Amino acid sequence: MPDQKAIMTDAQRINALLDNQKPDRVPVWHFAYAGFAMLEKGYTIAQIFLEPEKALEAERLASRKYRWVSNPTIGYAAYGSWEFGGQLKLPTGEYDQAPSVIRYPVETEGDAWSLKLPDIEKAGIIPGRIMFQENVLREKPENEPFQVICCINEPFHTAGNICGLERLCRWLIKKPEIAHHLLHLATDHSSQVAQYWAKKFGTKNALIRSADAISSNQVISPKLFETFALPYAKELHEKILTIGYKNIYVHICGEQNLNLPYWAEVPMGNPGFVSVGHEVDIMAASKYFPRDIILGNINPAIVQNSTVDEVYRLTKQIIEHGKNCSRGYIFSTGCDLPPRAPAENVMAMTRATEDAGFYSQTF
Amino acid sequence: MANEQRTLEILKGLRDAVVSMDENTVKELSELALEEGVDAYDAVTEGLAKAMDRVGELYSNKEYFVPEILLASDALYAGLAILQPHIRIRTGAEKKSLLLGVVEGDVHDIGKNLVKIMFEAAGWDVHDLGVDVKLPIFGEEQARQKADVVGISALMTTSMLAIPRAIELVKAHDPDVAILVGGAPLNRELATRYGADGYAKCAGEVVKEAQAMLERVKNRKKML
Repeated sequence: MPDQKAIMTDAQRINALLDNQKPDRVPVWHFAYAGFAMLEKGYTIAQIFLEPEKALEAERLASRKYRWVSNPTIGYAAYGSWEFGGQLKLPTGEYDQAPSVIRYPVETEGDAWSLKLPDIEKAGIIPGRIMFQENVLREKPENEPFQVICCINEPFHTAGNICGLERLCRWLIKKPEIAHHLLHLATDHSSQVAQYWAKKFGTKNALIRSADAISSNQVISPKLFETFALPYAKELHEKILTIGYKNIYVHICGEQNLNLPYWAEVPMGNPGFVSVGHEVDIMAASKYFPRDIILGNINPAIVQNSTVDEVYRLTKQIIEHGKNCSRGYIFSTGCDLPPRAPAENVMAMTRATEDAGFYSQTF
Repeated sequence: MANEQRTLEILKGLRDAVVSMDENTVKELSELALEEGVDAYDAVTEGLAKAMDRVGELYSNKEYFVPEILLASDALYAGLAILQPHIRIRTGAEKKSLLLGVVEGDVHDIGKNLVKIMFEAAGWDVHDLGVDVKLPIFGEEQARQKADVVGISALMTTSMLAIPRAIELVKAHDPDVAILVGGAPLNRELATRYGADGYAKCAGEVVKEAQAMLERVKNRKKML
């Protein structure tokens, strides 16, 4: 029997955290679960992008079935390529997980200098996301604390998707002026998207959801992060908060330990939501973001490849640490919930949270 | 003909220039090495390739990151383009070969490209199948190439599921080949479970791991 001791709904748990109150238990709010939800419902991953109404149906069903916070989105890590004029391939194969870039909008220095900001109303996935957002607003399930979710990427990540990772890496050192040019465009684009969402849907009960994998220390040094990622992330977040958004959710993807002191300088809102990968210790995240809610961080490969018992045990262990986060904690996968993760492993995370996630005292 | 001291100076210069990602100096010193009669093979193995060993160490120690490896490799390849045509074929030393690819469903090539750089710098022949490689191609190409090592990688949790199937298909064509796997979602335990003979956590240690794996596979065969 699930959640016997529960006295709050998922939305109430998140609202309690926003109000700096302790919820009855740790909420479960997975990062990027659309692929899993689609396969679970018998759809394909490509249908997320071809038939977004099916994605909304599948994401809501999965969130109810597995008892987690719902935040329907149609996000993808390659965001930026298509939007700036590149070409994507949809995930249609047995082993595909997400859209992949087949042509970058910028392949030469000349391309970079002639690149312009795309028309925000027509660029790439944006019209599809607007339609998706309108559909989201037609119902208000109890496990959906934020109904307006504006998905963007951090400028460094978008810049990597505009010109390709290797090219960006070379330009950071050999042609920094080109890297800065792309980063300016990426910052302006994300800021325009946030502005566009605010105009259409308002900023009340709205969440900005962002991510950055390309700036991880698996790719760049903290020194390059400080020079090329930090200033643009700060500028973007300041602009977003000026628009009127109160909360920014950032998935700091991958091995980012050396970048954490810099990420800590980026305003995340009051409070922000900081989601970290399994490579980052939850308590280290809490130390660097004492005023933000921490999300994380079971290794998705373990969810996919380990036993039910191991997933359950590890989830409990992570929650025990997470409960000590000063400004609140939400259990989540450390990155995308693997689309082909076994259902019983996914349920094991919920069970473990319901068994071990209750708080005994109030803040 | 450069004397020993001058030769050592030029080789050190080449190493330093690669490590400091200075492509122009590598080109100049490669030309100079040829002009002064430094053996092109020594310039490559003791200069350029040794430098990449150091670059690999710096990467493993988190002093260098992807941009630094890419620029060091640009410098390496600039030197190789000048020196390689002048290498006289040496008999005796057997050149190892690697068949390399990213499994279907995955277009992430940065890790695979870094691995390729490290093997080429160590003097291996690399047959790069690219990214999003249909699984049967791994087996078919190995049947043709007879590489010493097959390297297979994946970055996504979904595409990693293709690795055991790719290994099966390679082994069906060549049961004795040593298979090395890598990629962010993998670890040594999973690599073993998938049937791989070796696992490399990062490009900095990949050549050493491949050599150790070849030894292990050789010893295993002896015991059978």
